[in-house]
Amino acid sequence: METDPNPESLMTRYQAGDFAAVTALVECMGPQLHRFFMAQSAHRSDADDLLQETWLRIHRVRHTYRPGEPVMPWFYAIARRVRIDHYRRALRTTARERPLDDRTDVSASLPVEEARMDDLEVLLAPLSESQREVLRMMKVAGMSLEEVARATASSVGSVKQKVHRAYRILRDSMNAMGAKRGSSRVLP
Amino acid sequence: MTDEQVDKVLRKASRVASPVDPALLKRIAESLSGSLRPVRPLPPRWLLTSGLALICALVAVTAAAHAGFYGVEKLMVWERVAIFSTLAILVWVAGTQFVSQLIPASRQALPAGAFVTIGSAALLGVFALVFSDYHTDHFIAAGLACLGTGLLFAIPAALLGCLLLRRGYAVNPVAAGLAGGTLAGLCGVTMLELHCANFQAWHVLVWHTAVLPVSAAVGALVGYAVRLRAHEALGRTR
Repeated sequence: METDPNPESLMTRYQAGDFAAVTALVECMGPQLHRFFMAQSAHRSDADDLLQETWLRIHRVRHTYRPGEPVMPWFYAIARRVRIDHYRRALRTTARERPLDDRTDVSASLPVEEARMDDLEVLLAPLSESQREVLRMMKVAGMSLEEVARATASSVGSVKQKVHRAYRILRDSMNAMGAKRGSSRVLP
Repeated sequence: MTDEQVDKVLRKASRVASPVDPALLKRIAESLSGSLRPVRPLPPRWLLTSGLALICALVAVTAAAHAGFYGVEKLMVWERVAIFSTLAILVWVAGTQFVSQLIPASRQALPAGAFVTIGSAALLGVFALVFSDYHTDHFIAAGLACLGTGLLFAIPAALLGCLLLRRGYAVNPVAAGLAGGTLAGLCGVTMLELHCANFQAWHVLVWHTAVLPVSAAVGALVGYAVRLRAHEALGRTR
C-alpha cells in the first residue's frame, strides 16, 4: 500500500487498524516527538523511553482522535503529559534519594556536548520552560497559535503573550551576542 | 534585531534534524501492531454530553421518587424555573467539561477548577434569590444529613458517567476527576432540590451548595489516586 504522508489521514487509517499506517505514522511523528523529549532529557535513553511510553498511550486512546481535526495538538497534548508525568516521577524519586536543596533542574543539567548538538535549544536557553515549549511546538512542529493553545490546555491569548515575551528576550539575547562579537551581523 | 529576523533564525535552527535510532521506531511500530485492531472513533461531543445529562437527570429523579418529591412540591413555579434551569445549564456545562477531559487537546472554555467556583457561585446566587427564611433549626444535624444524601446520590451518577466515558483520559486524570466530581455533585444538588423541604436559607446556601465542591474535591482525589497508581505500575514495569 502506498504511504500517505498526511498525518491526519494516517491517523484515521490507524484507527481502522491499518498496519502500514501505523508504521508510516511512527516514522513521520517519531523524530518530532523524540526531539521534543530530547530538549529536556539529560540522557538519550530517557527520550527513547518517553517516546515509547507516548506511543503506548497514543495506542490506548487512539479512539479519542476525531477524524478531520488537526492531529498535531492531539499528539503533543499526550506527549506533554507523558513528559510531565515523567518529571513528577523523577522528582519523587529524587526527593526520596536526596534532600530537596540538592535537587537540580533536569533541563539545566544538560551536558554541554548534548546541549550543543541542537542549535535551537542553545538559542532557546535564556527562555523559561513554558516559553521554550511553546516555541518548540510552533517552530519544530509548525503548529498554529490555536493548536498550541489546545495542546497546552491554555488560551490563545496566553500563548500569544508567551511568544511575545519570548521574542523580546531572544531579541535582547541575540543583540547582546552580536555586540559581544563586535559585528553588525549577529548570526553566522 | 527585529522579530522577523529572530523568526528566521529560529526556523533555520529548527530544521536541524535530531537523529532517532530507526530500530527504535521499528520496535515501537511492531509493539503497536501486536494489539492493532480497528477502533470506533468517539460519538459527537453533544451526544456524549446529552448522555451524561440524561444520567444525572435519571439518577436525581429516581432517587427523589424513592425518597419523596417534598421539596419541588413546596416550591412556587418561578422558584422551580429559577432553580432547575440553573441546574440544567450547570449540568450541561459540567458534562461538556467532562467530555473535554476525555479527548486530548480539546477546546476548553474554562479550567475545571474555575468551573467549580463559578458553579458554586451561581447556585449561591439563585438560592439567595429564592430562599429568604433566615431562621436556623438543627443547622448541623439537618445539614449533615442533606450533605450525606447529596453525596450518596452523586456516587451512582459518577459511576454511570465513568461507565459511559470509560476509555481515554490520557492527559490529566486529576482534572478529569474534578470535572466528573462536579457533574456528580450537581446531580446530588438536583436530587436535594427535588426532595428536601427544609427551605431555611442558611441550610440550603451552606449544605446544599456544599455538595458541589465536596464532590468535586473527592473526584479530584480519585483522579490523583489513579495517576499515582499508573505511575507506580509504570515504575514496576521498568
